[in-house]
Amino acid sequence: MFGIVVISRKQVGWAFTGLGSLGAIITAILSYTYAPGVDPEAWNAPEAYRILFWHVPFAWTSFVAYTILFVGSIAWYARRKEWGWRLVATGSDLGLLFGLGVVISGPIWGAAEWGVPWDWGDLRLNTYALLTGVALFIVLSRRSQPDGIDTRDTLSTVGLFGFALVPITALATTLYRERHPGVVIVKSEDSGLDPEISRVLLIGVFSFSLLMIGLSILTELSYRLHAELVELQQRLDEVVH
Amino acid sequence: MDAAKLLSASNLDVYRGNRLVLSNVELSLNEGEVVALVGPNGSGKTTLLESCAGMHRMTSGKVAWRDENGDVRIVRDFEGRRKRLPPMGLTLQKDGICGEETIEERLSTALSISGCAPSSSDLNQMLSAWGLEHRAVDRISQLSGGLRRRLAVLCGLSPAVMSANSRALLLDEPSEGLDESARGLLVNWMRALAAQGHGILIATHDPEMIAASDRIVSVLENGTLSSETQDCLAFAGELPDPCPAIEPNPLASHLRWAFRMEVRNPIDTISRLLPALISLLLIHTFVGEKEILVSGNDFLAALIIAPAFISVLVGPALIKRYAEADCGRWWSALLGPMHRISSSFIGASLILPLPLIYISWLILGDTAPAETSQDVLKSIWIIGLSLIDVAIAAAAVHLLVADLHRSNAAAASLLLLILVWPFIELTDALTIILNDGMTFGLGMEEPFTMILLASLTSVLIWLVAVFLPDV
Repeated sequence: MFGIVVISRKQVGWAFTGLGSLGAIITAILSYTYAPGVDPEAWNAPEAYRILFWHVPFAWTSFVAYTILFVGSIAWYARRKEWGWRLVATGSDLGLLFGLGVVISGPIWGAAEWGVPWDWGDLRLNTYALLTGVALFIVLSRRSQPDGIDTRDTLSTVGLFGFALVPITALATTLYRERHPGVVIVKSEDSGLDPEISRVLLIGVFSFSLLMIGLSILTELSYRLHAELVELQQRLDEVVH
Repeated sequence: MDAAKLLSASNLDVYRGNRLVLSNVELSLNEGEVVALVGPNGSGKTTLLESCAGMHRMTSGKVAWRDENGDVRIVRDFEGRRKRLPPMGLTLQKDGICGEETIEERLSTALSISGCAPSSSDLNQMLSAWGLEHRAVDRISQLSGGLRRRLAVLCGLSPAVMSANSRALLLDEPSEGLDESARGLLVNWMRALAAQGHGILIATHDPEMIAASDRIVSVLENGTLSSETQDCLAFAGELPDPCPAIEPNPLASHLRWAFRMEVRNPIDTISRLLPALISLLLIHTFVGEKEILVSGNDFLAALIIAPAFISVLVGPALIKRYAEADCGRWWSALLGPMHRISSSFIGASLILPLPLIYISWLILGDTAPAETSQDVLKSIWIIGLSLIDVAIAAAAVHLLVADLHRSNAAAASLLLLILVWPFIELTDALTIILNDGMTFGLGMEEPFTMILLASLTSVLIWLVAVFLPDV
């Protein structure tokens, strides 16, 4: 009478991905139909601010992805944990996807609002660009290099290399901002946002988080299956040999 | 370790790709014996031999050698510790030789790294014995495969031939590519070296080499070993007399080798200089005085530094030389943990930044007033020196990427993005020099401080790129 429904990880992954994607689309719609406009006297390109509703969620989700990449890099580098390598793969894929979102949406907004597509004094923008470059390198290398202990050692080292450069970037951007103040004026987070803006922003962050969780599950599952396939192929190689 | 043991590998687990090739392997090499590693293709003979040379990471176990003082030195272990090999001989399966070297140079290099200082007659005697004397000054790239292999084998044997101390030699498929007379000579020299107390480990399929061995170690398909001894009936040949010993200085040998290669074929200089000069000419052509005056001194500063900066970002030709016939792996084995450090300096553009930045200034600096011009000329060399630091950091990043099996398929430039920061610091420094002249104060707004920060940033990047991979 009460059938037990077993939901597979794949189905869970697709569900989260679907919901997250839907939420992202809804966020985009709400950013135009629900979120209020800003004071046209105070902004150079008042409509361009709506990029915020995707830019901030991209930043949040890429931050989580880079954290996954970092944890995975440490786990593989220090202990050669298989789960660590899967985190490196997942973190780099998602870090690239969402990181590109940040470094594309940010300059679009910057160019429209401040006439400056890139601000060397913006710590977050520069850090994300650096980490997206590292993620892209890892993604491309995973596709071009033969999988193995040596490749994984080198790529996890590259992952840690990227994170070791974050404090260097922080120092450099701080110094740059002291010498070049006022290139881009970023609203202080303490200034308080309009409640409607906050609401849409929260929907966006929540949606992108669901999307991230869904893609993480699917990606991790895909790599797990790939690892099983490789093992089966190796066993077949031995039999044929 | 017993006094007679030259090297020992214990509890070795080594992966190649995702395959466990060596499993809980125990192997030792004693004075006065020739040990043959045998097994089917893909069984792990080469991996075992190279692991004994500390060339592979291991997930378990360690490799220890006896050095010239009789002390035990762990050259590699599963925790990532690594030390330089004591003087020894190494012949890799792919020769490990760069084609730009001459035969004489190559033999001389192999000997100097192992602390031997042969005279030219010693060198000629060895080359003559191996039928190479008439080609002594020819480049290796001009040799046939057979002569190349003779040279590679001779370079692997010579550190023991020229030494009065017992040494270990590791030879991977030494008879591959040799004709009958060379194989006979190889057997004679191996037996003679064993009689003198040296130990020789060979990976081989060749029945003649196996018959010339005292012990046969079979590498089984599951990555374990089985061993059996045998009586060897091969004759020992006559060897040249040992030469005087010197303190080995592999770093100096490495530097001399790299310098010679670049002087002989300056591809590193050309591949860096050309993009720099092209960018300079294009800037000069398309950026007029009016644009510079309108945009300000920071624009001018960026244009002046850009060509030199481009030159330091180009990948080192050293990496291409290393890729030839496993040349880099040979150097890595013999230099040990110093390989990456040494290569990052040797592979960097150390000479070009200074002249390039002066050339940039002379071509582009017309818009500046005369007094400013004099001040810049007197102080721009400091920026050039900082660019050398950037060059060394860039070389280290390229070397990090070169660790990948198919490094040509990897986009190293993505990891060089971080070097934009030193460029920005140096541009700001030159801007201030153009505006207000050079000062040597240590305030954050002083050009000298900015130059120091650019160098510091480069040093930090270099430290991460050099030490992280080998920890």
